[in-house]
This record gives sequence, C-alpha cells and structure tokens, in this order.
Amino acid sequence: MGSSDEKVVAVIMVGGPTKGTRFRPLSLNIPKPLFPLAGQPMVHHPISACKKIPNLGQIFLIGFYEERELALYVSSISNELKVPVRYLREDRPHGSAGGLYNFRDLIMEDSPSHIFLLNCDVCCSFPLPEMLEAHKKYGGMGTILVIKVSAESANQFGELVADPVTNELLHYTEKPETFVSDRINCGVYIFTPDIFNAIEGVSSQRKDRADLRRLSSFEALHSATRSASTHFVRLDQDILSPLAGKKQLYTYETIDFWEQIKTPGMSLKCSGLYLSQFRVTSPHLLVSGDGTKSASISGDVYIHPSAKVHPSAKIGPNVSISANARIGAGVRLISCIILDNVEIKENAVVIHAIVGWKSSIGKWSRIQASGNYNSKLGITILGEDVTVEDEVVVINSIVLPHKTLNVSVQEEIIL
Amino acid sequence: MKALILVGGFGTRLRPLTLSFPKPLVDFANKPMILHQIEALKAIGVTEVVLAINYQPEVMLNFLKEFETKVGIKITCSQETEPLGTAGPLALARDKLIDESGEPFFVLNSDVISEYPLKEMIEFHKSHGGEASIMVTKVDEPSKYGVVVLEESTGKVEKFVEKPKLFVGNKINAGIYLLNPAVLDRIQLRPTSIEKEVFPKIASENKLFAMVLPGFWMDIGQPKDYITGLRLYLDSLRKKSSSKLAKGTHIVGNVLVDETAKIGEGCLIGPDVAIGPGCVVESGVRLSRCTVMRGVRIKKHACISSSIIGWHSTVGQWARVENMTILGEDVHVSDEIYSNGGVVLPHKEIKSSILKPEIVM
Repeated sequence: MGSSDEKVVAVIMVGGPTKGTRFRPLSLNIPKPLFPLAGQPMVHHPISACKKIPNLGQIFLIGFYEERELALYVSSISNELKVPVRYLREDRPHGSAGGLYNFRDLIMEDSPSHIFLLNCDVCCSFPLPEMLEAHKKYGGMGTILVIKVSAESANQFGELVADPVTNELLHYTEKPETFVSDRINCGVYIFTPDIFNAIEGVSSQRKDRADLRRLSSFEALHSATRSASTHFVRLDQDILSPLAGKKQLYTYETIDFWEQIKTPGMSLKCSGLYLSQFRVTSPHLLVSGDGTKSASISGDVYIHPSAKVHPSAKIGPNVSISANARIGAGVRLISCIILDNVEIKENAVVIHAIVGWKSSIGKWSRIQASGNYNSKLGITILGEDVTVEDEVVVINSIVLPHKTLNVSVQEEIIL
Repeated sequence: MKALILVGGFGTRLRPLTLSFPKPLVDFANKPMILHQIEALKAIGVTEVVLAINYQPEVMLNFLKEFETKVGIKITCSQETEPLGTAGPLALARDKLIDESGEPFFVLNSDVISEYPLKEMIEFHKSHGGEASIMVTKVDEPSKYGVVVLEESTGKVEKFVEKPKLFVGNKINAGIYLLNPAVLDRIQLRPTSIEKEVFPKIASENKLFAMVLPGFWMDIGQPKDYITGLRLYLDSLRKKSSSKLAKGTHIVGNVLVDETAKIGEGCLIGPDVAIGPGCVVESGVRLSRCTVMRGVRIKKHACISSSIIGWHSTVGQWARVENMTILGEDVHVSDEIYSNGGVVLPHKEIKSSILKPEIVM
C-alpha cells in the first residue's frame, strides 16, 4: 500500500461530434470539450485535477472527434502540465466501458496500479487524491464518486444505494422511473486493472447469448455497424449494476459541487462554479479592480490577458472574458461568457448570456435572460459572428451563427 | 374676453400619473398641461379663465394662484356636483362667462394639445357672423370619431355624424370652440352633450361654422397619445421657435431640456425627449421618445425609450426602460433592471425585471 513506485493513469471520456447536440449552437463551432468554462477549456478542469494525483504517469483522452480538432490543445496541455496527455480516437462510440477496453493495451503500457476514469462533461471539484486514498482502504475493484441530490432531480442520473458503514455499492440503477435513492453517480471512477476482466466478461457473455440482449433503440441503430470483435459496453448498466452488492465496488461521497454539462445554459452555471473554485485553488486567475485604473469588478471574474476592458465598465459576478475581446466604456456584464474576439460597445448590458466568437454588441443594446439554467431559453445564447445593432434588446433567445439583429426579440430561436 | 376650459374628472386614463396630480397639473413638455392652454388664451387677450371641473378644486388652488400671477390672468373654478356632460358645464358657468361686453368666449377641451390658432379663430368667427365657431381637424380614421360635415368653401356646418360606417368626411371636432353668449341660452342646466344636442341645433339654423385647424392636434388623455403628442408638439416648436430646443453633439432631433437640468458626459438624447426642471441625467445615458419629469435622476448608462418617467423617480445604472413604461411619482428602478412596458404606481421600488407589459400595483 502506498508504495512510491506504483503508477496511476487517468482516462477522460470526451465524446464526439455526433454526441452533445444539446450543446448547440455552441458546438457548431468548437468541440464541446474545448468550450471554455471559467476561461479554460471544459476538459482542462478534469485534466488539472488529475495533475494532483500522486504518481500520475499519463492522461488519456478517449473520444471520436477527429485528431486535428483536439491536437493543438493536447500538445499545449502536455507541455504546460509536464505530464503526457494522449488523445485516443475511437472509430465510433463504444460506450465508456467499451472505449476503455478498446484501448486497454495502451492504457496498461506502464502497468499502472490504478486507473481513473472521468467524464469530460461533469463539473465538480474532482477530489481525486482523496478518492484514491478511500479506494485503497476499501480494497475493491472500483470506487465511484457519488453526491447527494434532491429527491426530485435524482431520476435524471444513475441512482445508487451504498452501505452507510462500509460504503459498499449495494444497488445501482440508471435513470429509474420511481425513486430509488437520492445518491447519484458523478461519472468519476477509480479502478484497478481488474476492470478489464469485468468488461471482457460482459463481452464474452454476450457473444454466447443467442438472444443477445434487449437493445435500446439507440443501440439497435448502431449494432448493425458494430463489428463482432469490439463491443459497445456501457459502464453503468453493464458493469456497475451487475457488480453491485458483490463487494467489488465502493462509493466515495463528495459534499462539494457537482453538475452535468449537457446544455449551454448549464455551461454558464458551471463556469461560475469553476470561477468560485478558483477563489480557493487558483486565485491568480481571478481579476480585481475598483474602476480607477481598471474596470470595477464584482465577485469572481476571469479576463484573458489579451482582452481589453474599459476602466468605466463594471464586470461580474460570474463573468469570463476570452481572448481579444473588447469591452467598451460603460458596459455592464453580469453572469456571462464572452468568447474570443467579441466586441461589446459603449453602455451595452449583458446579463445571463453567452456571446459567441466574433460577435458584436451595439451601443446601449441589452442581451439578457432570466438566468434559469435548466430551461431551454433561460440563458440567451448568441452563436458565432452575431451582430446586435445599437439599442436592440435580446431577451431569453438563442441566435444561430452569422445573424444580424436590428429589431428587439424575446423568447425566440433565430435560425 | 373670457374662456372656459373643460377639465372634467380625475383623468383616470392618464393613471398612474394622475394618482399624484390632477390631470391639468400633469406636465407636458415641461409645463403643466393646462398652462399650455392658459398661456395661449392670455396671448390673444383673454383676461379670465374658468375651469369646469367635477371634483373638489382644493388640490389645485395653490397652483392656480401661482399661474394667475405668473401669467397675469384671472382663474376661477366652476365645480360640477354631478357630471353634466360636455354642454352642462357651460350652463353652470353661465354667470362667470357673460359680462356686459357681449363678446364671444372660448371653450377648450383640456385633453387636447395643438398650436391653438386662437387669433385666426377670432377672425374667422367675425368673418362668418354666425353664432358659434368650432375648430375641426383632419384624421386618418374618421370612423373612430364624430365627423363634422361642412361646406368646404364657407365652413358652414351641415351635420354631425357619430362614428360613421360609410365615409362622409374626414374632419372631426377638435374640442376648441368660440361661442357667442347667445349659445348659452340654448343650454339647460342638466347633463347634456354639446356635440349631440347643442351644435346640431345651431347648425340647422345655419349659424355654426367650422375652421380647419392648421398644424397638429392630439388628444393626450392617455399615455400612448401623450408620447405621440410630445413628438408633434416638439416638431411644431422646431418650426415656430427652435431656439427653445436643445443643441449639441449629444442631441438628436427635437429635445427640450429645462435650464436647471444637468446632463452628464457621453449621453445621447433624442429624438422627442423632454427633460424637466432639476433632473439629473448621469453620464452614458441614452434617452429617446420619452418624458422625464421634474426632479428625476437617471443614473449612469441607463437607456430609456418610449416611456414616461414620473416626478422624482430614479432609474438605476444600466437599467433599461422602454415600450410605454409609465413610472408614477417617486418610483425607483434598481440598477440593471429591464422594464418592458411596466406601468408602475407611485412610491414603488422595482427590483426585478418586467419582461412583458404589466401593471405594478
């Protein structure tokens, strides 16, 4: 236990372009894992959390984006963290367990003692070293990060029951119709290499079965194109459910924040959560100012060093401003993400919104939403290169790329 | 010469503004509405104005005293104890209107704003020698009003047609009359209508003549028309005495700014804006098509259009107020709030955005 030469690797599942359609219109321009939250690509947050794992050997990103879409980021983050980060591209989705199994030889290259598995689209504090400690103590094959949520919201996730004393996973069910538990799966795991045997077990069992299995419609659609040698294996239903109650899987409960980043609205909320985490972990990334020499800042705000912000502007809370953005005199920004090369002209107001790359917001115009992160139009989203003319008001709306708005809109999706 | 101004009731259509002041005292273009009429009457030699009102005039008396000295005119009130329609108030004020001179007297509707070409009206009245003159104005949709059918060459009124379904003419009663004292003999002291009962009778005797009102005309009895009326009024002011309008690089179109109001750096004001006495407009503010009444403060970077900001209200930093938002007296809109058509009663604080037109009690 705790020997200094044992190696740990981390695997982050990043998905691919046919997934994450709910993240449109932002995913029309950028792979979702690279969308900036708190000024850093979404995938950067789990990656920097991995950096804190003792004896971390390598980080693998597994997904089905084209290599070139992630190449630049992967090489720059490797240099920055001084840890090898490799992108492993699947030819098609294999499920998270299937994807892991598919690349087992590469993952096991340096004979790691433990493998972390993280989903890119969850937002949390990733207490990975603590999880590793707990996992070693439990002595099982895997440990799942869990969190307590409200009973009403639990059924959107994988609900699980754990032994209150031993923390063993007793029962697991994905998105149940009726209430099972208010403890849910956070999509962050640690496994011993035995996990590959468990996945292989599921695959071979399936091969043997004549009636294969009850397929979900999604699976049925994809099964035709799936080769016989590689298998679509889901981690939750195919591995966690059957292994529950067999003294192989354990849980580690976090009391920090946790959210799933499925929609642009949630990305704004998660950007805010990461900004407030920076207050503790990386305060140097947050800006301050009182309006004399630099803009007046309220709450947690990230501003890229290349962005220009007029001293008479007031920014925050929960604002992140990306590279080369220009924020004019008397502008007010609250709870928003301003992407690269955006221009916001004098006296404009942006509240609860995401302003897409190269967009231009006119003088005294107003981009606003209710701030209800879960509703479809609860955050106003402007796609790439959207122009909002002077004095125009855009409320609770989504605007697709390359549009010009010269009249006010409310509760609309502009194609 | 004397004049009667038909003030009527509390002006409920102009609420929430009339919850704080009776309608004649509500400011229009930086001046109480009734003062526009009183000044026009004074200018052509009227010496005494009677206000026909149907509520206790106490609240107005101090203001009327002030107007009397300021304008140099005698102002009295004639109070109805029951609603007397549009003609009854004339009978009630009979003794105040008739004197030994035998001169005709003016009757003005207090809701109407125009250029008041009263001098021309006196000449017109003398020229036709009839008993009564009325001002008519051209409208786009005559079917909404009572149409006055007249002989184009002489102006002799033939008949009145209430809300005609078929086109009979496009001139309507503009609510400005010049009447010989003899007209009073035709009106009994009871609820009665001047358009339906009195004028048709005079017309049938060929003694009623109509003059087409030159320039603009607007009934500003409700907020939407009040905002339109300000545009028409300022257009007319531009033609007649443009020196009263504000000038500068921060001004667009016709803007009236009281000399005691302060305007900050980087503002853009206009078109069709009136800013009243003692107002403070801080830097970076955008105002268009709106009225900002006495003692209002508009904080930095706020943006207001097509709205009325009532007396002593404040609009917070980066707030946006638009689309027929009417703030009553002493309303405070917090920083960064959006009001889209909010109608707010006096003494309220608005702390959350009003996204759709609604009334805030």
